[in-house]
Amino acid sequence: MTELDALRKAMQASDPQLVPDLDLPAIMAEGRRLRIRRRLSYGGAGAASVAVAAVAAMVLAHPTAGPPAPPPEPAGTGSAVVSAIPWPGETPISKPIGAVVHTGLRDGTGERVYFFTAIDEPGLPEVKIGLNTGRLSDTGKLFADYVTNDVKGSDRSPGFHQIGYDPSGTPPDASSIPTYGYFVGPAHRIEGVVKKGKTVAANIASWSERTDVKIFWFDPASLPPGQRLEGIHAYDITGKEL
Amino acid sequence: MARGDDEFVEFARSASGRLMRAAFLMTGNHHQSEDAVQTVLVRVYASWSRIRNSDSYGYARTVLFNHLADRWRRPIREYASAEVPERQQRGDLAAQVSDRRWLLTLLGRLTTRERAIVVLRYYFDLSEAQVADELRLSPGTVKSTSSRALEKLRAGVAAARIPAIDEESR
Repeated sequence: MTELDALRKAMQASDPQLVPDLDLPAIMAEGRRLRIRRRLSYGGAGAASVAVAAVAAMVLAHPTAGPPAPPPEPAGTGSAVVSAIPWPGETPISKPIGAVVHTGLRDGTGERVYFFTAIDEPGLPEVKIGLNTGRLSDTGKLFADYVTNDVKGSDRSPGFHQIGYDPSGTPPDASSIPTYGYFVGPAHRIEGVVKKGKTVAANIASWSERTDVKIFWFDPASLPPGQRLEGIHAYDITGKEL
Repeated sequence: MARGDDEFVEFARSASGRLMRAAFLMTGNHHQSEDAVQTVLVRVYASWSRIRNSDSYGYARTVLFNHLADRWRRPIREYASAEVPERQQRGDLAAQVSDRRWLLTLLGRLTTRERAIVVLRYYFDLSEAQVADELRLSPGTVKSTSSRALEKLRAGVAAARIPAIDEESR
């Protein structure tokens, strides 16, 4: 027997101590709640019941699509906490800071949008904003799905900040969250690196409050939600890497 | 046709042991493993009606590894490579305990990503292509990471003065 066989055998050996103590009724109850939250979030049944009053006053910005591009390097997103906001009815969102960025992506309940909200963490004195992804309903109501924010350093420091991935852990479908993030600097084009060094161009929009803050997201048809990037690059208008 | 609760209960009972074992190989921690399995089953149940019967286990495995792999997708860190204990050869309880400690110490020398690949390759017997698909990595990344993981395991085995791991997976 080779040691690889031994390793395989040791891994596959039964272990009576490794039998989970399952509370199936509780698991199924939690699963039902999760299913309902997803339906509310993505099916539209409850969408009309939760409004965000500030939306009517918002200025809407329109994104510009980034053209295709050259090679990459490893992502430098740093460490960050990603906190899920399952449904605004459970955790009310704060007012967006600046304009909501439209993506043109629709899931039947509204348009996928991005916007910043305030972050107030005593241990993070230089982190004041987090980037949300949510939906803007046809009736003009804003819903937050997910927010990412830095957990160290400054949220306005040059370069890439935390990248948000679909958090569900389930295979992508129409309700999944497209990969997104923001870059501080004069980026004209942003590219993600995926399998075999292939690059995928991101869509880019400038933040209304500071035009050197570039919000970007990847079209789910080009980068399946949840799929991790192997690298990410930003280039200025001359094609020089930032 | 929607799938019912009875089928889910049957699935959960039959699959949970194997999922638990995989989670334990990934984390080395009993409680974390149990929590991970519970989380996975919640997510599987939430999607139960749209998971095809033949895909249930694969779906659960994907959810499990995505859940556990979040750790490597944030800060990537190496585990401290502790001394690898010698492996007992007797077939008694002490040997079982020794085997488990030996295995966890070896796996503990790996990064989380390496560990996930080794578990999928040698516990679940998946091909490199299947591992790449499940972890959403390129086949090249899986191959190189797997190779690097085996090198580390080989070094660990050598430290425990046991004959070398062969190159089966290359």
